[in-house]
Amino acid sequence: MAGLVSSRGCHKIRGSQIRELLDSKLNVLFDCDGVIWNGETVVAGAPEVVTLLKQQGKKVFFITNNCTRPRASYVTKFIRLGFTDVAEEEIFSSAYCSAAYLRDVAKLQGKVYVIGCQGVVKELREAGVPIVEEDTDAPTGTIYDYPLDPDVKAVLVGYDEKFDFIKLAKACCYLQNTECLFLATDPDPWHPLRGGRITPGSGSLTAAVETASSRKATVIGKPSCFMFECIASQFNLDPGQSLMVGDRLETDILFGANCGLDTMLTLTGVSTLEEAHGYKDSDDPERKDFVPDYVVETIADFIEAYEEEEG
Amino acid sequence: MLDSVDNVLIDCDGVIWRGDQAIPGSPDVINLLKKNGKKVFFVTNNSTKTRKMYADKLALMGFNATDDDVFGMAYCSAMYLKKVSKLQGKVYLIGSNAMRQELEKVGIQQTGVGPDPISGVQMDWANVPLDPEVKTVVVGFDEHFSYMKLNRALQYLNNPDCLLVGTNTDTRLPLEGGKAVPGTGCILKAVETAAQRQAQTVGKPNHFTYDCVASQFGLDSARCLMVVDRLDTDILLGSNCGLKTLLTLTGVSTVADAEAHQESGCPERVGMVPDYYVESIAELLPALQG
Repeated sequence: MAGLVSSRGCHKIRGSQIRELLDSKLNVLFDCDGVIWNGETVVAGAPEVVTLLKQQGKKVFFITNNCTRPRASYVTKFIRLGFTDVAEEEIFSSAYCSAAYLRDVAKLQGKVYVIGCQGVVKELREAGVPIVEEDTDAPTGTIYDYPLDPDVKAVLVGYDEKFDFIKLAKACCYLQNTECLFLATDPDPWHPLRGGRITPGSGSLTAAVETASSRKATVIGKPSCFMFECIASQFNLDPGQSLMVGDRLETDILFGANCGLDTMLTLTGVSTLEEAHGYKDSDDPERKDFVPDYVVETIADFIEAYEEEEG
Repeated sequence: MLDSVDNVLIDCDGVIWRGDQAIPGSPDVINLLKKNGKKVFFVTNNSTKTRKMYADKLALMGFNATDDDVFGMAYCSAMYLKKVSKLQGKVYLIGSNAMRQELEKVGIQQTGVGPDPISGVQMDWANVPLDPEVKTVVVGFDEHFSYMKLNRALQYLNNPDCLLVGTNTDTRLPLEGGKAVPGTGCILKAVETAAQRQAQTVGKPNHFTYDCVASQFGLDSARCLMVVDRLDTDILLGSNCGLKTLLTLTGVSTVADAEAHQESGCPERVGMVPDYYVESIAELLPALQG
């Protein structure tokens, strides 16, 4: 593997270096926001990259902390943005993985109290995980009197535009029982939209529930490894033969480091090359895991890597 | 001990009442303290009532108290914004009607109080219209707290010049009737996390509350006694300000907690050890009557 250096080296690569790296990997995991699209705008060349990798015999997966859509809705978005060959089974969102965790790992006996949008609720229903059914458009009590369901054995917190104080109070009550599980879909404090706009993320709602209950949530999404374990259990992936491509150092790159994958930062999203170098130059050993092995301007650079070989 | 103090600062919840029930004997203690020439001040981190509302509640329970004796967090926060932040412009307020009233009383205008329903899609939320006169986001207890309010706060705080002030960091709020719900600390944590910054906080253990009382009444800290039920916020405040501290066991902290701090040898925890403790404030009665 002449010319390739990894170990958190933050090496900007293109052309044959990208080709060499990809030839050594069987599996490529892409984050979505900031990597293959930004909001409703596709990153130019991304659909061609996916097709190309599959033609080369690679397995391609999409791994996103964004829990606002169920997988079927992601498939529709992929098609809408010009991707022709992405299957539902290749998409792993934090909502899907949270449902899978509750069903397959926790093997939950009982109901889940969900603080989450329809994207989260639908994945739980699809997985057959019983949830507390509430009419979210009607008031569910006052702070002096809110009904509780005796069958709740887990609380799951995710992005919820209908989050309110009563939900916080109920979650806190359920979590007084130490046997009640406490899960969060993802830790992201804010959620990026296109044009640099942001809205509050699941992480800010989880922080409120953690403070109220004096308990720490088990976080399913990146940078924790659960989502990789979820994919690996279905597709038998070897981390040594897998590459994680993301745009957020504290989420995607740290995730890759935690799971033993090589990591690549793409510059079409949140984090900058300066930030990556900042972590590399830091004296704090914990910051080393935020440093990517490789950096590209955009994943569209993969196309040129293969064209060069052929040209 | 009582002869060596002129002024007594009393925490409310867990010391003289629980919810809407007075701790037995406490009205007599307070009234006797006043009769014996002591100044008595009622101090609380709770921001859901104005000074007048607290004075009314105290009167109903048999305490001899006026508005001026009360230093609730709504009032103290308004004073903090006026005197310490030297606030210019408006406030985006996540808080109660009482907060709004106390702010208006000192001439600070706010926007945001009350229910705030959500509609539309994510881009609409990121693009909510912002009042250009808002220079500070203030967070207190708000039973109407919602994602939309959190979102508005975040959009204001995207401007690095916009300040973030929290009334207090308590994680529990006791209600009338004895139940407790999540406190202001939880709401503040959500805002701090979304905006990725720390708020300035007004309430205990920050000593602004004490400074507020002391400056209005010209108190000598060496002749002040704080009577409280929490070690980590209240006793620490007392130690930091050089006051004598008395812990009552009718609230949050226990003797075991105090002993643990004492034995820890940790400099940060030594400040949480009270000078004295009693089972209940009623134990002061014999000394006052005698």
